[in-house]
Amino acid sequence: MSRRDVSLRSVPTALGATLVCGLALVTLPWLLSDFLLALALSCLMFAALAVSWSMFCGPTHYLSLATSAFFGLGAYVTAWGLESMPYGMAVLLGGLVGAAFAAAIGTLVLHLRGAYFAVITFGLTELTLHSITYFEKSYANTAGRIIGNAPETPLIYWTVLAVTVLSVATAIVVRASRLGFALRGIGGDEERAQTLGVNTRRVKVIAFSLSAFFPGALGAAMAVRWTYIEPLSVFNPFIGFQTVLIAMVGGAQTLIGPIISSVFFSLLTEFLRLRFPYAFLLVLGALLIVLVLYLPGGLASLLTRRARSHA
Amino acid sequence: MRFGGLIAVNDVSLDVHAGELVGVIGPNGAGKTTFFHTLSGVLKPSAGRLSIAGDDLTGRPPHVFAAHGVARTFQTPRVFREMSAADNVRFGLEFAGRLRRHAHDAFDDVETILGFLGLAQVAAVPAGALTPARQRLLEIGIALGARPRVLLLDEVAAGLTHTEVDATAQLIRRVRDELGVAVIWIEHAVRVLMDYVERVAVLHQGVKIADGDPRAVARDGAVIEAYLGEDGEAQRAAA
Repeated sequence: MSRRDVSLRSVPTALGATLVCGLALVTLPWLLSDFLLALALSCLMFAALAVSWSMFCGPTHYLSLATSAFFGLGAYVTAWGLESMPYGMAVLLGGLVGAAFAAAIGTLVLHLRGAYFAVITFGLTELTLHSITYFEKSYANTAGRIIGNAPETPLIYWTVLAVTVLSVATAIVVRASRLGFALRGIGGDEERAQTLGVNTRRVKVIAFSLSAFFPGALGAAMAVRWTYIEPLSVFNPFIGFQTVLIAMVGGAQTLIGPIISSVFFSLLTEFLRLRFPYAFLLVLGALLIVLVLYLPGGLASLLTRRARSHA
Repeated sequence: MRFGGLIAVNDVSLDVHAGELVGVIGPNGAGKTTFFHTLSGVLKPSAGRLSIAGDDLTGRPPHVFAAHGVARTFQTPRVFREMSAADNVRFGLEFAGRLRRHAHDAFDDVETILGFLGLAQVAAVPAGALTPARQRLLEIGIALGARPRVLLLDEVAAGLTHTEVDATAQLIRRVRDELGVAVIWIEHAVRVLMDYVERVAVLHQGVKIADGDPRAVARDGAVIEAYLGEDGEAQRAAA
């Protein structure tokens, strides 16, 4: 019996390949300069953000702008908890807080579609930002927090690497599972999926929550990179926008697309910032427009297009 | 079933038994599709009761209906366009179909169902790229994958040529015979239906005006009046 078509041949092979890549990347702190390691860290972070975003939004065609909210909450878990718990524990807890928050807002707003969903997730991010600001000002009498006993860069790098590998592995398993199949059905025709026995509401909340674990964990892991954190910096909507752009430019339907595109983007952003410190956002914006206009299927569609023309 | 001030389907009662093939006909706007939406849980009835094999499903969401063995097709094919034909059928099998087994496993895997519908050679083709006639057949395949107890067919013969309609009708009878499912078949084109069903119900302005043997129903004065309207007058004058 033929299996349903997944872009990667088989789950064990894909997981094996992910693990091998992950292990190879473990060596980078010994090989790279501080500057390059920071760049690698940014590549990994955006890869994990884009892969986990695509996990839910790719097959269902939802447009979530809530990534910054999960990221920021994760960062605040570290800010509040790092004095009383080990770094690894804070990262795990950050992920769980992200997932729990996603489950709560998902239950409330996942019945909305298209622009409405995008706008409300954006609004919820702002709401979270201002709630944290308010809480900190009224109860903790502080605008921001200084993070003491931050771990060394290599440890941060390995932690983020672990989260990234886990996000890719999860995405592989989800794609091949009934959950992933149900998500594709929901993206195709939600009501039809319902009449075929899918409890779409439950499936969406589970998948949305699962996909939010990763930005939460990443927020917690990356918070220590800033010695001083405040709501405006960690709930930065730019993180959410950039995640969406990376995923879409790479091709949110695919697994490899967002990964390639996150590396491409991180390197490009860095290069443009160094070469054209004033015009870099202009150049980046123009490039995005070109990509969206001429490659609507994302960078990954270049690969399939070539494969097709060879066939 | 009420939409604001409009009562679309009013007090229609239909008992269907396992293995029965019932046709539902009615002129445009009679409430046929609304009736199906209520039977499959897509719309919640404002009054009345729905039960399957003794389980009351009134007001439950569509996936519960599917889990109880109600499978339907849609008037305009609603296949998963980006998925292959095989994945479309597999979808039903993986979700609603997973919860039940058929009496025998004649239609228990994707290949058999697609082969039965004559779609085996397009199994790998994205459903959206199939011809409309094939999409209609695939709709039936998706519903069969859900291992139904009751199969609701909404105008599956619309837009098909005479030969295609005949083939589809044969197919529906075979499904009924081999699986013993109850089939409720809505069709706008009366003649098609009358030849193939053992019982027919007529809806008119949301009310059931006749129910019984197709030949008897076809002679029913109220039905001719309602269904054929001025056409009926013309036909009777001609006859």
